[in-house]
Amino acid sequence: MTDCGCDKAKAELEEYLHNELASNDAADIREHMAGCTDCSSELHVGVVLTEAVQRACREVAPENLRDQVLLSIRQIQSTH
Amino acid sequence: MQATLDRPRVARIVDWPVMTSTNSEPAAVPDPRALFEEQAVPFLDQLYGAALRMTRNPADAQDLVQETFVKAFAAFAQFEQGTNLKAWLYRILTNTFINVYRKKQRDPYQGTTSDLEDWQLGNAESATATGTSSRSAEAEAIDHLPDSAVKDALQSIPEDFRLAVYLADVEGFSYQEIADIMKTPVGTVMSRLHRGRRLLRGLLTEYAEGRGIHATEAKGSKK
Repeated sequence: MTDCGCDKAKAELEEYLHNELASNDAADIREHMAGCTDCSSELHVGVVLTEAVQRACREVAPENLRDQVLLSIRQIQSTH
Repeated sequence: MQATLDRPRVARIVDWPVMTSTNSEPAAVPDPRALFEEQAVPFLDQLYGAALRMTRNPADAQDLVQETFVKAFAAFAQFEQGTNLKAWLYRILTNTFINVYRKKQRDPYQGTTSDLEDWQLGNAESATATGTSSRSAEAEAIDHLPDSAVKDALQSIPEDFRLAVYLADVEGFSYQEIADIMKTPVGTVMSRLHRGRRLLRGLLTEYAEGRGIHATEAKGSKK
């Protein structure tokens, strides 16, 4: 079986995306991505997916929650 | 130059309230509450975001965050300064959710990896594109989805998957940190993350197609 690097790149895409590979493995995949539109398009979907999740999950806690948290911490401390 | 750089430090000392007592204690140990407020409370928004994804409703999320901070403050003396405070807080949040909170949840436990039928995974995954050009259309479609669609899709995937995706992709924790937070082996983290992301991708692509954004259509073919 002749492997042009696609097998490794596809198998380790998620780990590559999440910075979990050793630097030499990551370098192999980076190099492969540069010359393979099939794998790099798959990587691109993965990156876009991550960004979409990050965007959607940005939350700001209600102001009263902050107040409540601070208040209960102060109450705990005053009982010590 | 040197002198001006030093000045703020001098000013701070001068500003310091004059000590009236003459006891010779060394520089005071920082007040734990002040330290906690300075170090831990800034994670409030992030923890609330995670709690929302766990509990899936704002009222429960607020209770969970409140309880997490109370527990964290009570245990703050055990936290080793210089280690990862964010991971420590997430461990408490996750423990609280799993051990205490999930039991009294309005929605029952949503199932885990093994409860998910393969056809459910297969269905969602089959929507994902395979060719290079259709993949770039798929990426384009996902990129333009409203946040609400992404949240809905996240809510609908099994809890263990959702949490792994959240901790990795939103919070940027390493696999090992997620394994510590979720108390599972790294291999389990990987499989939850992979399957969660594949499922999510399938759902989002399906959603986009349902709204007439075709992943298989080349960009620019409209109009």
